[in-house]
Amino acid sequence: MSAVERLLAQHRPAGGQRLRVLSASGQLGYGIPLESFERGLARQPDLIGCDMGSIDPGPYYLGSGQMAAPAAMVRRDLELVLCAARRLDVPLIIGSAGTAGAQPHLQATLSVLRQVAQEHGLSLKVATVSSDVPRPVLLRALEEGRLKALDESAGGSPLALPQPEQLQAAGHIVAQCGTQTFVRALEQRPDVLIAGRSCDTAIFAALPWMLGYPEALALHMAKIIECTSLCCSPGGRDAMLAELGMDDFILESMNPLLHATPASVAAHALYEQADPWCVEEPEGTLDLRQARYEAIDAHRTRVSGAQFVHRPQPTLKVEGAARSGARTVLLAGVADPTLIAQLPAVLQAVGQRVRSLLPGPWQVVEHVYGQGAVRPLPPEQRSAHEVALVLEFLAPDAELARTAAAVFKQTLLHWGYPGRLSTGGNLAFAITPSEIDAHDSYRFVLYHLLEGVAPEAVFGIDLLHWQAGQA
Amino acid sequence: MVASTATLRSLARVVRSKNAGPLCLTLDLFFLDEQAYARAAGSPALSVPAVAALYGLPAEQVRRFDLPHLCAIKLTLPRRLCAGDPGDGDVYGAQQHGPLLELAL
Repeated sequence: MSAVERLLAQHRPAGGQRLRVLSASGQLGYGIPLESFERGLARQPDLIGCDMGSIDPGPYYLGSGQMAAPAAMVRRDLELVLCAARRLDVPLIIGSAGTAGAQPHLQATLSVLRQVAQEHGLSLKVATVSSDVPRPVLLRALEEGRLKALDESAGGSPLALPQPEQLQAAGHIVAQCGTQTFVRALEQRPDVLIAGRSCDTAIFAALPWMLGYPEALALHMAKIIECTSLCCSPGGRDAMLAELGMDDFILESMNPLLHATPASVAAHALYEQADPWCVEEPEGTLDLRQARYEAIDAHRTRVSGAQFVHRPQPTLKVEGAARSGARTVLLAGVADPTLIAQLPAVLQAVGQRVRSLLPGPWQVVEHVYGQGAVRPLPPEQRSAHEVALVLEFLAPDAELARTAAAVFKQTLLHWGYPGRLSTGGNLAFAITPSEIDAHDSYRFVLYHLLEGVAPEAVFGIDLLHWQAGQA
Repeated sequence: MVASTATLRSLARVVRSKNAGPLCLTLDLFFLDEQAYARAAGSPALSVPAVAALYGLPAEQVRRFDLPHLCAIKLTLPRRLCAGDPGDGDVYGAQQHGPLLELAL
């Protein structure tokens, strides 16, 4: 009997039994704090879940197919959760595999998991969900007006609807699969479910839905615990336990120093959410306006009252990123007040000179720290005595980006400007070479809603049987 | 009593910014107590048009949510650039709270 089969056969929510859901990691691959995770295991969880991805780290990971988390730590964390789940014989559920949840991320994560399983002599069934959206589905939706801007940005979206060529050129395009898709995958009765790009709620809400817990309650619980102990005071990254009943759920950090208080848990609803009351899911809207938070003791909080409003047709959030070129970065400091005062004009003049020396499709993107690189700064707040230059050189190929950076560096180093006293050189280098190949540059081309497409037409589900001893 | 010229930073325990997806920025302000919250919530400096002006946006693109039970105000606005686009200096949007800190409430 597989772990999912056993849970579905043996767990009876109506009998007053609570479902113990352990959230081991909100960012698998960055180091699961061991002691708290082990305290969670000692509580005999009924399932273990981990979120592994996000769109937050930017377009590079989705576009390139690379993971953000370091491989050695991904392996360490996967080993920890897989061995624990098999030892307890409970389902292990992982969402947004390998950061961005596209096919290469899913495959890379599966390959590490497989290696761990073999090394530990584990036989298991692994269900997978692939989240890549076929291009024809998107092109047709674009043509028929079913690809829409998200309304979160109140009409001020900095990302236009993509052109068909941009959809074709994107490195990867994924959709966030929801709880219903996880349910479909879990109907394969695996021991482990590992999904491509997913709603973080799906990881923790799908088994409760299958067991008959209220949808709204399960989603609200999932929304909170997917960040592990971030909802506590103080917040942390330690494993979080939720005990789900038919009327409420109880939150408890597995780190005794992190306390889930009514205020800290309620405040977490604001985190990274455009709207603090409504959480949009593929299947509907989770409405938190009636949510109630009560302290059980100084460490635990009881939550109830969320509502879920189904939408008639599921909508999917789609994400895509395309390569925009190779990138070299030049790092240098400037500490001459005369130069700092005229830096914009000098950078422009140097750019023109370099362009005359090196024609071609390269561009320079300036980040002048101390002068408003992070956000616009009023003149009186700009640094007059020391600034950092981070100059990005973008070009179709790495050789051109590198050449532009090197020529720009040398031209700027010895550029004459009005009032110049420091004729030894205009730049301070903390490191040499000061121009660094900085991966390819990617841009989001898609962060939109896809309507009128059934999730079954996008998300592919497979069941793998891994036998100990078989390579 | 709060002083007559209190800055936002002196009345708040959390002033944070963060992406809500790659297209939006959301600013969460948690105040020290109900009195500080009431002062902030009623202040013209935190009105939607004032915050919009502070971030160089038209007022209709800024949404404000008042959460008295948390002594909190949330402001959601579109990002100037999509996260990670050339020229974006804050991919996570985590350092965009600065203009709020010294507001006189």
